[in-house]
Amino acid sequence: MRFRRIPGGNRNRTVSRSTLVVTALFNLFLFTIASGAETQHNRDPETGIETWEVLDRGVRLSLTQILPDQARAFYLARGFDSDATEVYAKACLFQTVLRNESGGVIAFQLADWRYLTGRRAFRLKLETEWQYEWERRNLPEPARIAFRWAQFPLEQTFEPGDWNQGMMAYPLPRGARFDLRFKWRADGKMFESDLKGVRCAEDR
Amino acid sequence: MRKIANFVAGVLVIFSLSAAAAETKQTFSPLAEKLPARDFSLKDMDEKTYQLADLRGKVVLINFWATWCPPCRKELPSMERLWQQFSKEDFMVLAINVGEDADTIFAFTGTLEPAPSFPILLDRDSAVLKAWPVRGLPTTFVLDREGRVVYRAVGGREFDNPELVAQLRGLLQNRR
Repeated sequence: MRFRRIPGGNRNRTVSRSTLVVTALFNLFLFTIASGAETQHNRDPETGIETWEVLDRGVRLSLTQILPDQARAFYLARGFDSDATEVYAKACLFQTVLRNESGGVIAFQLADWRYLTGRRAFRLKLETEWQYEWERRNLPEPARIAFRWAQFPLEQTFEPGDWNQGMMAYPLPRGARFDLRFKWRADGKMFESDLKGVRCAEDR
Repeated sequence: MRKIANFVAGVLVIFSLSAAAAETKQTFSPLAEKLPARDFSLKDMDEKTYQLADLRGKVVLINFWATWCPPCRKELPSMERLWQQFSKEDFMVLAINVGEDADTIFAFTGTLEPAPSFPILLDRDSAVLKAWPVRGLPTTFVLDREGRVVYRAVGGREFDNPELVAQLRGLLQNRR
C-alpha cells in the first residue's frame, strides 16, 4: 500500500489511499447533495399555467409555461407575420427567470446549458440561431429587435441581487417532459444543477 | 376572447414572478472599473434631443427598457418617485426605450401611476443599446458627476428603496 505525505504543522502525517478514497467519496456525497436541490412545482389555480423552480447554492432558476396563444399574441403585436409567429409558437416555450441570491458574482452562458430527455442531452436553440430564421423570412427590424430582447440573455454576469427574465424555446412536442441542466461559474469554478420534470404546455 | 384571456393570464403570471423579485436584494452594484460612459444623442417623445455629454456635472441614471418587458413596466413608477425625490438636485433620469415608437410608449405610460415625467428617449434601431454593455432588459447604469459609470443593476428594482436612494445620495454629495 502506498502512502502520501502531507504537511501538518510541526509534524508530518501520513494518509492511506483508503482514507483518500473515503474522503473523495464523502466529498462526492456532499457534492451530490448540494447539486440535488429539489425542484418545486406550482400550478396556477386560475390559469393552469405551471412553474418549476429550483434554488441551488444561491442561484434560483424558474421556468413558467408560455401558452402558444400567448406567444402568438405577443409576436403578432411586435410585427411578426403569422407564419413566423407560428414557427416560434409551436415550440415548447417558457418564461425563464434566473436570480443571483448568492453573496458573490456568478456568470453563465446558455451555450453550456442542456435539456435532457430520453437519457440524451441536447443543446438549446439560441437566439442567434432564431435570428437567421427571421432574417431569411425578412422580418422587419423592430420585430427582430423585440425578439432579441424578449429572449433570455445568451450570456450574463450577475452581481448579488441581479436577475433576468426572458423567453426560451425547446424543440419538443406539446406535453413533453424534460430536465434542464443549467450551469454557472462562480469563484473560478463551474457549477451545475437540474430543474427536473419540466413539462411543455398544451395548445389550449 | 379566449386568446385575450390567455394572454392576460400569462402577463399576470409573469407579473407575479416580477413581484417576487422585489423581495430580493435592492442595491446598485459598484463597478470595479469606473470607465467613462459612451456618449449618445437621442430624441425624446417630444423630439427634444438629449446628448449625454451635456449632462456632465450631474448624477445620471440611465435605464434601458421596453413596454413589453414585465420587470421594466413594474419598476417605472418607482423610478418616477425617485425622480421626484431628487427633483431639486443635480440628478437626471434617462429612460431609453428600445425599438418602439412614441405612440406605443405613450399608450403604456398613460396607464402608470405616477406617470413618468422624466425624459423617455427613443432608441428605435437599438444602436445605443448595442453600444452599451447590456445583455438583458431592464438594465440600469448610474453615472457620477464626472460622467463615469459607477453602478449597474441588472433586472428590476424598486428605485425608491432606501438602500438605492442612499447610494445615489452618496454620489450627489460628492462635489467636484
